[in-house]
Amino acid sequence: MNTARAELRKLLTLPSLRLTALLTWTANLVLTYAYRAAGSRGEPLGDDAALAPLAYTQAGFLVLGVLAAASEHQEGGQIRTTLLAVPRRLPLQAAKALALAALTLPVAAATATTSTLSAGEATWTPAATAYLTLTTLLGAAVASVVRRAVPAVILLLGLYFIAGPLLRAWSATSAAYLPDTAALDPSRGAAATLVWTLTALTLAAFTVDRRDA
Amino acid sequence: MSLVRAELRKLLGLPTAWVGLVLGTLTAPVVVLLNAPYTRRAIAAGTLTDTSDLGLRDLGIGLIGPMVLGVIVVSSEYTSTGQDAPGARQLTATLAAVPDRLRLLVAKTTALVLVVAAQAVVTATATLTLTQVLHGEHAPAPAPARVAAALLYWTLTALLAYALALITRNGVVPLTLLIINSSVVSVSYLLTKVTDLAAYLPDIAGTQMFLRSGDFPVEIAPVTAGLVMTTWVVALLAVGAVLFRRRDT
Repeated sequence: MNTARAELRKLLTLPSLRLTALLTWTANLVLTYAYRAAGSRGEPLGDDAALAPLAYTQAGFLVLGVLAAASEHQEGGQIRTTLLAVPRRLPLQAAKALALAALTLPVAAATATTSTLSAGEATWTPAATAYLTLTTLLGAAVASVVRRAVPAVILLLGLYFIAGPLLRAWSATSAAYLPDTAALDPSRGAAATLVWTLTALTLAAFTVDRRDA
Repeated sequence: MSLVRAELRKLLGLPTAWVGLVLGTLTAPVVVLLNAPYTRRAIAAGTLTDTSDLGLRDLGIGLIGPMVLGVIVVSSEYTSTGQDAPGARQLTATLAAVPDRLRLLVAKTTALVLVVAAQAVVTATATLTLTQVLHGEHAPAPAPARVAAALLYWTLTALLAYALALITRNGVVPLTLLIINSSVVSVSYLLTKVTDLAAYLPDIAGTQMFLRSGDFPVEIAPVTAGLVMTTWVVALLAVGAVLFRRRDT
């Protein structure tokens, strides 16, 4: 419990995380407004107008996860101090994931609420909140393997925004199992997102456990 | 000249730059290859009647390459060189070698343009040749002017990423903005549904330099589109250059 509290305090004091959360929420407001405005002009925008802005702003949550995990490996190698204090790595990884989830949950809830409520589909709010939190954890898991923010961001955003849509256009059936499916088709994508995030977290924990700091 | 060479070697020495080079060069031809059966069926069924954009349209997908290159050429200077010396950044050494900041920026810009233009030529040749081989009887070879415009679009996109990175001094912010926006349905495209002014955003205007069959609220002539995008890039570069000169490292 102490470890989780310490990790949470580390995350809370990172200015980059505060900035990312704020920008993401603002961007989501603007996009939601854009969708509403376009919708009221009679433009066809697809079926799930409540979730469409989130399909873009999930990028902010990916970045949030990446920055949280990569901050340990940035300037000065904070990870060494962390490992000195908590040498057992698997419990440390669990505490990190827990702290990040606790930090992300309110941000995800705020973002999901502003997007779904204005579309009049409040039933999606809990699902969207869970999805965004899981997305953040996935980003953190990938970044703790890659250990550097910029390559991790390129990898994740490339997968979510370039490879994903391409695969979806090419083969709709296999693309139903991509991690970001839930942002577009929540009923079917929930399991996919959960499995992807858990796999990434397990892989990350295993890698961190085996590797030098 | 030796400055440009030094910047080229720095850029090509970065592992992340190679990610951008490989990703950017391979994506478009691979997509053409993967989409070939689908495209053939669409042409045969008559759902795809306007084939003049075939190949050129796929070039837009590889844009992640120039974006990564443009950002990394700046952001690499600002990342810490070692865990034991957190305050030491490559920029310090760079400025010690080249104190004239404008000359440094000119050299950096030249190096970036050379690399991205070379990548664009390779990618465009591969993509368009592949399109001709696969759908030659249906797709007319695009006019040289349109191919040149596509190459210009690649280079300008890299410069846009570079300018944004100069302003933010950080790799994550411009990459996030640009990669989301190069998604299949871009944010800029969404904004064109809200206001017609969004048609003058750099990426929407830029694609009209070489694509004909877009669904845009305002049709901009190719030359005007090129001027609009160039104006964006020059303005952002100017802001970046002024900030780079005035700011502490």
